[in-house]
Amino acid sequence: MMKRRTRYGSMIVLLTLFVWLCPLAVSANVLVQCPGDTNGDGISEDPNIVCRSITGGDGYTTMADGLSLYIFSFGDADGVPADRVIADLTLKAQLPAPTIVLKQGQELYLTMTNVGMAVRPDLFDPHTVHWHGFPNAAPIFDGLPEPSPSANMGNSFTYYYNAVVPGTYFYHCHVEAAEHMQMGMIGNLWVTPKQDGTSIGGFTKFAYNDEDGSSGYDVDFPVLLTGFDSFFHIASDTVQALPFAAMFDEYPMINGRGYPDTINPNDILNQDGFGAQKIPSLITATAGQRILLRVSNISTTHQYTFATTLGVPMKVVGRGAALLRGPDGKDTSMVVNVLNVGGGQDYDVILDTSGVAPGTYFLYTTDLANLSNGDQERGGIMTEIVINPL
Amino acid sequence: MDRIGKQHHMRVALLVGAFLLFFGTAAQGAIVGEVGSNFKLVAKQDVIVTSDGGSTLMWGLAVTNSATGETGRPQYPGPTLIVTQGVPVTITLRNELPDQAGNVSLVFPGQQVTANGGVEGLMTREVLQTHLKPTGAFIEVKYSFTPTEPGTYLYRSGTRQDLQVEMGLFGALIVRPATTPAGGDPAKKYAYNHVDSEYDREFLYLMSGTDPIIHRQVEQRQWNLIDFTTYFPTNWFINGRNYPDILAENFVPWLPTQPYNCQPRMHPGEKVLIRFIGAGRQIHPMHFHGNDFETIAVDGRLLSSAPGAGPDLAWQATTIKSIPGQTADLVWGWTGKELGWDIYGHSPEDPLEPHEYAPNHGKPFPVVLPPRDAVTYGPFYSGSPFLGGEGELPPGHGGLNAAGGYFYMWHSHTEKQLTSNDIWPGGMISFMIVEHPDVPID
Repeated sequence: MMKRRTRYGSMIVLLTLFVWLCPLAVSANVLVQCPGDTNGDGISEDPNIVCRSITGGDGYTTMADGLSLYIFSFGDADGVPADRVIADLTLKAQLPAPTIVLKQGQELYLTMTNVGMAVRPDLFDPHTVHWHGFPNAAPIFDGLPEPSPSANMGNSFTYYYNAVVPGTYFYHCHVEAAEHMQMGMIGNLWVTPKQDGTSIGGFTKFAYNDEDGSSGYDVDFPVLLTGFDSFFHIASDTVQALPFAAMFDEYPMINGRGYPDTINPNDILNQDGFGAQKIPSLITATAGQRILLRVSNISTTHQYTFATTLGVPMKVVGRGAALLRGPDGKDTSMVVNVLNVGGGQDYDVILDTSGVAPGTYFLYTTDLANLSNGDQERGGIMTEIVINPL
Repeated sequence: MDRIGKQHHMRVALLVGAFLLFFGTAAQGAIVGEVGSNFKLVAKQDVIVTSDGGSTLMWGLAVTNSATGETGRPQYPGPTLIVTQGVPVTITLRNELPDQAGNVSLVFPGQQVTANGGVEGLMTREVLQTHLKPTGAFIEVKYSFTPTEPGTYLYRSGTRQDLQVEMGLFGALIVRPATTPAGGDPAKKYAYNHVDSEYDREFLYLMSGTDPIIHRQVEQRQWNLIDFTTYFPTNWFINGRNYPDILAENFVPWLPTQPYNCQPRMHPGEKVLIRFIGAGRQIHPMHFHGNDFETIAVDGRLLSSAPGAGPDLAWQATTIKSIPGQTADLVWGWTGKELGWDIYGHSPEDPLEPHEYAPNHGKPFPVVLPPRDAVTYGPFYSGSPFLGGEGELPPGHGGLNAAGGYFYMWHSHTEKQLTSNDIWPGGMISFMIVEHPDVPID
């Protein structure tokens, strides 16, 4: 399992590409499984069944200072016929991966097709999906490659999840996790509670089934914190030994972008002209609304700490996809001005904008070294919060 | 897949023997260590082996056998001291560290300690190195305390901590309750004096890291070059071992200075107590695959809103930061409920397994698995998606999960820490194995 990547030059890359493409023609095994899909559009006619199709592969991103970085990640294959997934979605990885949102009680059939890494066909790595925090998981759908099968290049694996526990989660590939997660195989995922649609405390949307409206919100935004170590990505792109021991993220990001790209409403185009970074992180609300931030950190090297300039505290109502309540129901929510998020942690944070004057504010990391895009200052983990007048 | 095996109990039972040769430990479900109230420890220098194939010079604590007077090799981490609430404890420390290592001492955060002998130090009384030929009261130092509260604690060097703790002079202290809590069952185990701290099995997670440059400088006696301002750890340990050494048995002869493994196993429905200690200088966000845990205690105190209220402020999550110097006690369980399919692959007419989630009994497996050549089988995949199942494995597969257990990675989510000195995989990876109810663990 140890990997030793030495420099053999482009010759070997081309050779292995050839070796890779040959068996692909015969062994490609893409099966998009979607029970209840009677017309073949990839959408189940059963409203309780959600079918999603993603790819695992590679691509490029553009950092906020203009640097192009090679990534591994998941691409969006929803609605793409099985026989077109590999052809259409090679080099179409997105950062972060396509967002998955479910309603409590829905069943998810998530097909992940490994389209291979076109830039690094020498790796022939499998990919998996790990739903981080899924309660009572079984290894077959946990995405850990050690106790389960993981899809080889040119093949798909359909994961099944009975989404009975609401909350903020995220997902990532777990194959050679230090490498594949550093390379960008991360995405947002949350499950909305059964309580949604009922009116409690003036809200109809909630982070959890709180029964008292304490996790109610008007607008919600994912705040997926991560970072890239550009040296690691460049080493991978140029077929060099990977610097695990030296790994240190210097491109901190929210939803796959550093400031000011975080407030750009458009896709960020990569060097091939593909919009690989599709999630803007401008937070907008009307004065008096409650904002829910779905916060997670999937950095392989850093914890991140953040605050806002709104002048109102952050109310932490959820942690680790669970409402902050003790075993007997005691309210254990926290009111903080600064929240530290370790790798693998997720939090639900409510910002009550009552009394906040309309204007533009910031959400920013308080470990100030992470306000950077590589060498460039005033970037990294920062975005704007626009409070519009009523 | 040709055949998805349901459980084959006879074969499972036979294969368990083979499985145990690889991973089985003699005392599953109890933390191994030195049980008692009087401990004689000696600080010595030795080496550990790391999973990148290297070795690292360490300073560790060796146990002196009270009956024979013999002292073994030092160990990383120091011996886990298991004591009882209310029973006076004495720890005697000698110092056989070489060269310019200097004095040694031990501190026990959370305990009110009296120190005797040795010489006065900055934090506590210290003991001189034996090569300086100390005599009389200078030969050793005695630390005495009576633990008033049960729980999980850390002990470590109280002398030049930046270097001595990095070099390995620390260990776990576990204080067991003196009596069964009110309303409790004397046949059951409790971490604290409250029935809500009950558990079936307990496991230690003592987290640490090393910067090999420091250890090399000590080895080469470059004392004046040791510089902690550039400290940059590149190797990480649970109970003093890297993955995959973590999986091997306790006290295996090929790891003579790293006696403790980290191999939790359990049956569905059991309660597992995880005693979690941050002994290094980094924060490790530990993530538990398989299910949420509940943090019931921090720093040897139940998370209670009032005395006697039990862990009513316990918090549930999937990831907890291991903070340097802090301890936490987590309770974890798993039944596989509400998955929407039968994890045992039962037919509806089959009997229920213990703790099986009845509404899913007999529910079919929800997807078609890819053919074998479309996937890579991990080393711990049994060939079947079912608990206790088996299936055909490809040629060359090690068959390391013959009992069809469910493996869950419990690991640092700062994923860089899953390497050992630049080599993946290594570092802070462990696996909880949930075994089929028919598979014996003890």
